[in-house]
Amino acid sequence: MLVLTRKMGETITIGDQIRIKVVEMKGNQVRLGIEAPGDMRIYREEIYLKVQKENQMAANWSLDDLENAVGFAGAGKE
Amino acid sequence: MKIETSRFGQIDIEDDKIITLPDGMLGFTGTRFILLTPEKPTPFRWLQSVDDPALAFVVVDAQQVLPDYAVSLTSEEYTRLALDEKTEVVILLVVTLAGESGSITVNLQGPVVLNPNRMLAKQIVLEGNRFPTKFPLFGTDTVDKNSGACCSR
Repeated sequence: MLVLTRKMGETITIGDQIRIKVVEMKGNQVRLGIEAPGDMRIYREEIYLKVQKENQMAANWSLDDLENAVGFAGAGKE
Repeated sequence: MKIETSRFGQIDIEDDKIITLPDGMLGFTGTRFILLTPEKPTPFRWLQSVDDPALAFVVVDAQQVLPDYAVSLTSEEYTRLALDEKTEVVILLVVTLAGESGSITVNLQGPVVLNPNRMLAKQIVLEGNRFPTKFPLFGTDTVDKNSGACCSR
């Protein structure tokens, strides 16, 4: 991992199109301003991990669970 | 080809039914899946791993269950899925079945987008609070542990 030190207001550029600027520092929080191509996905890592965790829960199912679910789906249509 | 599955036994499928997820499902290895459709009418389908017999996800077609749900793709994703203007993608939502609460939820934050023409798919992560990972599929009140599980067939 590349580790850089930046001061308030300083920027890091990644490639030609991504700039990350330190906008505010308060206690143990840092606010970052990110400039990147308009349609690039940028998200907090927690969200990525949340989806990963949900996948793990989703993968843990049995045929009994499914029977029940099919029952719910059927009941919903009536 | 024949593939082993821990839930459905051995399945014989044609090679062109294999869907490739070059980036896999988040948190899992394996890039080849097949989409199985049950015989009886139900919104549920299964995304079964070809590489891991035990790995399968229950999925629903977003268009069928949540017609208003839409995902905008980045140009990178567009390329990754080999999409062109004519292709209509299929959006699959991963279902989490019967947790302890007995609820059935779909993950709106991590949809699987499929290019059915090229059999290429990718799980996308969406930023923002508009997309919960646990969205109740049948509304919160319809899921009743006592009455729901019965079901005549």
